[in-house]
Amino acid sequence: MEAVFPLVAGLNLDFNALPQQLINGIIVGSIYALIALGYTMVYGVLRLINFAHGEVFMLGAYTALLTSYTMGYSPEAVKKIFQDGGEVSSNPLNLVILILISMAVCAVIGALIEFFAYRPMRGESRTAALITAIGVSLFLQYAGQLFLPANPPPSISDKVNPYSGSFSHVFKPAQIAEDGNVISTAMEVSITHGRLTMLVTVIVLMSLLTYLVMYTKAGRAMRAASHDFDSASLMGINVNRVVTFTFMLGSALAGAGAMMLATFEGTALQPFFGVLPGVKAFVAAVLGGIGNIPGAVLGGIVMGLAETFVTWLGFSQYKDAVAFVILIIVLLLKPGGLLGSSKVEKV
Amino acid sequence: MKNGLLQIAALSLALVSMSFIGGCKDPNAAGTDKPGTSGSGSGSAASGDTIKIGMVASLNGEQRPWGVDCEAGGLLAVKLFNDAGGVNGKKVELVIEDSNSKPEEGKSAASKLAGDGVIAIIGEVASGISQQMKLVALDAKIPMVAVGATNPDVTKDGNGLISRVCYTDDLQGPVMAKFAIDKGLKRVAVMTDKKLPYSTGLSATFVKRYKELGGQIVAEESYQAGETNFGGQLTRVKATNPDGIFMSGYFNEVGPMSRQIRQAGMNNVVLMGGDGWDSADLISNGGDAIVGGFFCNHYNDKEDRPEVQKFLTDFKANNNGNLPGTTMGALGYDATALVLDALKRLGAANKEFTAENLAAEIMNTENFPAISGSITLKGTQGDPDKRALIVEVKKDGFQFYKSYEPAEVMAR
Repeated sequence: MEAVFPLVAGLNLDFNALPQQLINGIIVGSIYALIALGYTMVYGVLRLINFAHGEVFMLGAYTALLTSYTMGYSPEAVKKIFQDGGEVSSNPLNLVILILISMAVCAVIGALIEFFAYRPMRGESRTAALITAIGVSLFLQYAGQLFLPANPPPSISDKVNPYSGSFSHVFKPAQIAEDGNVISTAMEVSITHGRLTMLVTVIVLMSLLTYLVMYTKAGRAMRAASHDFDSASLMGINVNRVVTFTFMLGSALAGAGAMMLATFEGTALQPFFGVLPGVKAFVAAVLGGIGNIPGAVLGGIVMGLAETFVTWLGFSQYKDAVAFVILIIVLLLKPGGLLGSSKVEKV
Repeated sequence: MKNGLLQIAALSLALVSMSFIGGCKDPNAAGTDKPGTSGSGSGSAASGDTIKIGMVASLNGEQRPWGVDCEAGGLLAVKLFNDAGGVNGKKVELVIEDSNSKPEEGKSAASKLAGDGVIAIIGEVASGISQQMKLVALDAKIPMVAVGATNPDVTKDGNGLISRVCYTDDLQGPVMAKFAIDKGLKRVAVMTDKKLPYSTGLSATFVKRYKELGGQIVAEESYQAGETNFGGQLTRVKATNPDGIFMSGYFNEVGPMSRQIRQAGMNNVVLMGGDGWDSADLISNGGDAIVGGFFCNHYNDKEDRPEVQKFLTDFKANNNGNLPGTTMGALGYDATALVLDALKRLGAANKEFTAENLAAEIMNTENFPAISGSITLKGTQGDPDKRALIVEVKKDGFQFYKSYEPAEVMAR
């Protein structure tokens, strides 16, 4: 206990930075939420943790990358235009095309994974299906190493993103001394147009998802199947179609998240790129209550905020550990998650 | 009960046989269909007409660009050596094993080479991997020449066996610190990749020297390789009003990070780094954000020293007209050529080609004209006194900016 007090006393808490860190957290969390939705929906219907979901995310990013190349934004093409003295620019239509293609390709990949790897395991034990999921995940990672460009890790050209500005508002300007030392920090918030677009897109996608799940027949079938798989089948619902639909939906969302991350954040892609976000999104889904769609969103936001909060405190070295600490706490205290129920199923 | 026992027996048999399959790595898996290598032989490496030396390189994984270049450089050195007649009628064979960009696999790659009977091991580019390989080299009493590992610990307690052809972070950090001071930067923030021994080591030497020279370290933040969003850390950095940011990690993260630095509104901050930035794709990863940045490197392919130009000509001739993408091509060549030169000296003195003799001869190297600068190992702990280059990142490549000799950097 003694060790905690010096730790707290030595903290340099910059409360002026809190609003900005809050925004940072929500942005990071929104992507986790998108991916977590895929985990949670599949679990809801099949009671299976789709460990390969992180790899679908990775493939979505690569799809966006390769599509951007065919659109003329490959490093060689961009370099050539620069050497010829030209300018490279983009427009929002390119972004729409990229996201639609990423979502479509991921949806197909998700459906294929379900059909070839999970459907044959439908009647088997939960453990067997889980191991299959891990196997698919490893398979995609290492197959990616063989076939995907990772030497060196490519990233989408920053020219693809047409938004270069940012919105910022200064509540209180920083006071800088003459020698450059900071007397008091600024209280300002700024969000780049790219990140704002990302946030808006996430909200739009989630609204669409909610509509789909709550107000359409297909959504009702999904909810029925997740409530009771066998009874739904007995009621005449084509559960195979429901499962495929669920996978496609979740994977499409992951693809959208991947495209946005790759385009707006410019992350360098390599075949294991989906592992860390995948694990964090999985924790987010568990945190919110696995199987619970609003839970996944809540879990994602909380994960993003927790990570950023730890960074704000000054412990950025530990921010990835936060995910796992949260997982342990949730499993110990409330395994059903924040919004999930911990009711025991009586047979 | 019987069923249960049977199941357990079957399972354990399966597990045991799986571990055998997993343990035996296919000897032909890594690059044996390249010129200069052939199937693994047995017995002492000096027997017959070939002398075997080994190389560990990251042919897969995040460090593949460096590993592939290192391999190409090494193979070129061996080819030129053999074409010139070898040594005392013997040719040299370079056996290459893949470390997969991972320290544990680098260690097993080195073990495999030691078991194969090589009398020297070349590698690696990364400090973390080299530190693991060192354990094998010390154990097997085989000399090891590191290619790009800059962490000072790699050659510590080396028993006269461990050396390198590159400078160490004991130089690289101070070089960048002096550069920062010379450029008039008074408030520098540091971003470290906490998972990389290279990055944590380099940041430490930079911070220490920069403070000694009178600079102010305003923020120290860390991240992990594979991260995508640095918003949290950069918000903290921005609040401290830095005029420079030192990013000691690899180009994979430095690219996106520099984009996010500019997006956060820090447009006039000077970006600096170490040789981990060296990659053909730093510019496409970082875009306009990284242009105008500076990093410390081993050599620049536009230098007009004759060794540099000859190397580039030879490399192009043997690699389909391609130049190495990174400086690891030159360093891989330098490390291999140094070992070959030591072999030649052994031959000239009519000494036997054993690991022990080779180790001693390598440590006797004086004024070896390497592409990356003259190398002298005699009288050192295994660390040559190399000069360091600062290059500036431009839209179309890296441009030589300034070079620093060790003496002027360490002076007060």
